[in-house]
Amino acid sequence: MISVRDLAKSFAGARGEVRALRGVSFEVGKGELFTLLGPSGCGKTTTLRCIAGLEQPRSGEILIDDRPVFNAAEGTFVAPERRNIGMVFQSYAIWPHMTVFQNVAYPLASDFSRAQIAERVEQILGRLGLGSLADRLAPNLSGGQQQRVALARALVAQPEVLLLDEPLSNLDAKLREQMRFELKALQESFGITTVYVTHDQEEAMALSDRIALMHDGALLEVGTPADLYLRPAHRITADFLGTSNFVPTTVESAGSLAGAEVLLDSPLGKFIARRSIEWRPGSASELFFRPENVDLLDDSAAHGLNRGSGVVERATFLGNAADVVLRCGDIAVRVRAHPGRTPSVGQRVGFSVAAQSCIVFPV
Amino acid sequence: MRKLSVRTFAFGSTIAVVSYLVLVPLFMLLYASVKSTADKLPFESTVTTISNYTDVLTSPSTLPIFFNTFFFTAGSLAVGLPLAILMAWLLERTAMPARRWIAALILVPMTIPSLLSAIAWIQLLDPRIGLVNVALRSVLGLSGDTGPFDIYSLYGMCFVQGLRLVPSAFLMIAASFRAMDPSLEEQSAMAGRGVAQTTLRITLPIMRPALLAALIYYIIVVIESFDIPGLLGFTARIRVLSTAIYWATHSEVGLPDYGLASALGAMVLALALLLMWIYQRLTAHQERFATITGKGYRPRQINLGAWTAPATALCVFYLALAVALPFLMLIWTSVQPFYAIPSAESVARASFAAYINIWQDSSVLRALWNTTVLALVTAAATIFLAVLVSWFVVRRGKTADGLSHYLATVSFLPQCVPSIVIGLALIFVYVRFPIPIYGTLWIIALAMTTRYLAYSSRAMTSALMQVHGELEEASQMARAPWARTLQRVTVPLLAPAMINVFFWVAVHAMQELSMALMLYNPETVVVSTMIWSMWQNGRTADAAVLGVILILLSAMLLLGGLAVSYLRRSADSWQAPE
Repeated sequence: MISVRDLAKSFAGARGEVRALRGVSFEVGKGELFTLLGPSGCGKTTTLRCIAGLEQPRSGEILIDDRPVFNAAEGTFVAPERRNIGMVFQSYAIWPHMTVFQNVAYPLASDFSRAQIAERVEQILGRLGLGSLADRLAPNLSGGQQQRVALARALVAQPEVLLLDEPLSNLDAKLREQMRFELKALQESFGITTVYVTHDQEEAMALSDRIALMHDGALLEVGTPADLYLRPAHRITADFLGTSNFVPTTVESAGSLAGAEVLLDSPLGKFIARRSIEWRPGSASELFFRPENVDLLDDSAAHGLNRGSGVVERATFLGNAADVVLRCGDIAVRVRAHPGRTPSVGQRVGFSVAAQSCIVFPV
Repeated sequence: MRKLSVRTFAFGSTIAVVSYLVLVPLFMLLYASVKSTADKLPFESTVTTISNYTDVLTSPSTLPIFFNTFFFTAGSLAVGLPLAILMAWLLERTAMPARRWIAALILVPMTIPSLLSAIAWIQLLDPRIGLVNVALRSVLGLSGDTGPFDIYSLYGMCFVQGLRLVPSAFLMIAASFRAMDPSLEEQSAMAGRGVAQTTLRITLPIMRPALLAALIYYIIVVIESFDIPGLLGFTARIRVLSTAIYWATHSEVGLPDYGLASALGAMVLALALLLMWIYQRLTAHQERFATITGKGYRPRQINLGAWTAPATALCVFYLALAVALPFLMLIWTSVQPFYAIPSAESVARASFAAYINIWQDSSVLRALWNTTVLALVTAAATIFLAVLVSWFVVRRGKTADGLSHYLATVSFLPQCVPSIVIGLALIFVYVRFPIPIYGTLWIIALAMTTRYLAYSSRAMTSALMQVHGELEEASQMARAPWARTLQRVTVPLLAPAMINVFFWVAVHAMQELSMALMLYNPETVVVSTMIWSMWQNGRTADAAVLGVILILLSAMLLLGGLAVSYLRRSADSWQAPE
């Protein structure tokens, strides 16, 4: 549905050229909700604005439904107003001098009769639960209502593609969580191909069919939320999503073990981890596992593969879990423990991490 | 990469029009300064010479001009700026009673054209018959028919010009006071420093860049000013740069000397450009100092204690001097058939006959009509250009080709081209130009549009920067092409600023004298030039009548502007204050 190929763009910054995008490529399938996720300044919004046509890349190609809307080599550039795209901006950009009805009717103005416009607008307002607000002026709307008006305006002309630029970031926490589900339900019922930009990983995981993690103007890896969280291919992905433990290790052997596994030597002890690339013994590497995959044991059981021990440095009660920090020499290991079985500070405990939860990255 | 779109076409046209309006006259001025001679226009001459410049710098008849200009500038600033700073401090930082009233009244002198303050002050301080002089002579028992004050002197010019600077300088400096983070001062108070120490050691040093910028800005304003030195320096033949350019082209004896005028014009232009460059550097720097906190809380207000009465008295005295006295004097003059100091006799003679008789002069009606057309056309043309300029400067600013930067620079350039120089340069451009606008009202409108483009495009630029770009992008995504977005989204959102700028330009165009004076003829006479010539011909009562009418017109226009913004605000409840 949307093909982005080799997009590159640079801005003139205070200290010379800033490369905002360096060869970004991805495909979005029909009806898919595809999220561009990353910290601020990673190029996710720039990518979205390139699809919209609000920015012009330096090179690359963008196709929407097999129609090239941008091609640097051939000099193709379709103006944003002709791309048949709906977009919701971070600020919602509800025109303050128009009523809700006028805002939503705006994309229709030229092609429809008055009655058709009224019908279409009322239909979409009803669908978004805004029916009673048609005559309100935008500044008299709450944040959530403004967000819905922006959505109605983006959808009213039945575009092929919907672009959402951090649409939930201006809402308070509670509303944000509620809107997350509404947005997903709405997107599914419209079946509209959607590109979603956010820096909020929880939001991305809750909403997306697939997530593209962006870093420093490049697309690092694409996958389903579970793929990226459970089986990250890059250290940056692992670090960005959720909480992580990283332990410096050396590869001891990679060949003799069964399956795609590797044996590591670390200050915590010996660990077996999943392997995604070929390793040579002796190479420096980094072991990664998540706090929720660590099981606490008795200190006496701390010997053997994928086991270690440490002294409890801090234990924070969080209600549904406890956040425990174990001090193991120079290394601190974070553990998400059961709230009812939290060790006390100063106690020496053992821990284990299952091999399938251990991933090794190059350094 | 794009096809020639409406937007590209509009951008190209805007650049072309602005370049033409601003650069062609300046080029012609420089060209004229090396081409014209005492009796020839630039096109009539075949030689290129720098003799115009050498003449100006060596001739004993022109050298006093430079001294006079220097004295006039320094003197006016010495009168106006300390007063403005003191009043800004009093009104922004102290708990002086009636602050609100004074702050509002201080702006009233802005509605009185400088031309009319000059006329009023002549009536008040003419060495022989000036009301104040006559009164002082009898009160103090001075002998003789003249003095003690002489308005027809450099001191007189400095005094009147200085008083006129106060309102706008007050606005600028008060804004800097407001922009300053008050906690910087409060910190000094917490450190045990008194008001005087805090003001001298914290407030003024922090504001130094802003004050320096104001100083430079008002140097340009004074060098540019024409009305006051033109009227007050007329009798005693005290010429400053701006008036010397006028008299070189409107000599009472002999032919116009365009060579001298253009050389003087080029020199004053160079000076103003240099000062504006310094001003820009200072204000770019200034932002680092003055930080707007936007917390909306007012700084601690200093209690003046025993100084309350003298401070209030000073403000009231200024208002009397700058507003009440000149205005009453004008009205008095306008109801007297011939000039007379107030007495039982002359009060009995007072009549509004002149207000009726003046309409018998058919040119008065023409002047009023011309002035109205001029003000509206200039304001409309200026606002139209300014909206386009500001849009391309703000929204296209990121584009790396530098054209938007060029547009910003060139549209601001007229800010430092003195009005009299624009008038002079347009003579050179259009006297032989195929577009037949020389001698029509349109050439005056063109001059004023050029001059006011600078202020208007700046004002629109800062207004547009307040409009979130996503509001326009949302319109694009909603399938609206550029022109429709501009019309349906941008312009409605800019409307409040556009209304303000429209009325600002209209009032200025209505009161403007020097450009009109350079470019008018009997057919295209406007109110300001008519007052000027009535005054020169000794028709003081008529000049005063027309002056009062002009003030009333300006006031009506300003009130109209306020009314329009008020109506809009109540119509659009979304404009509620934050």
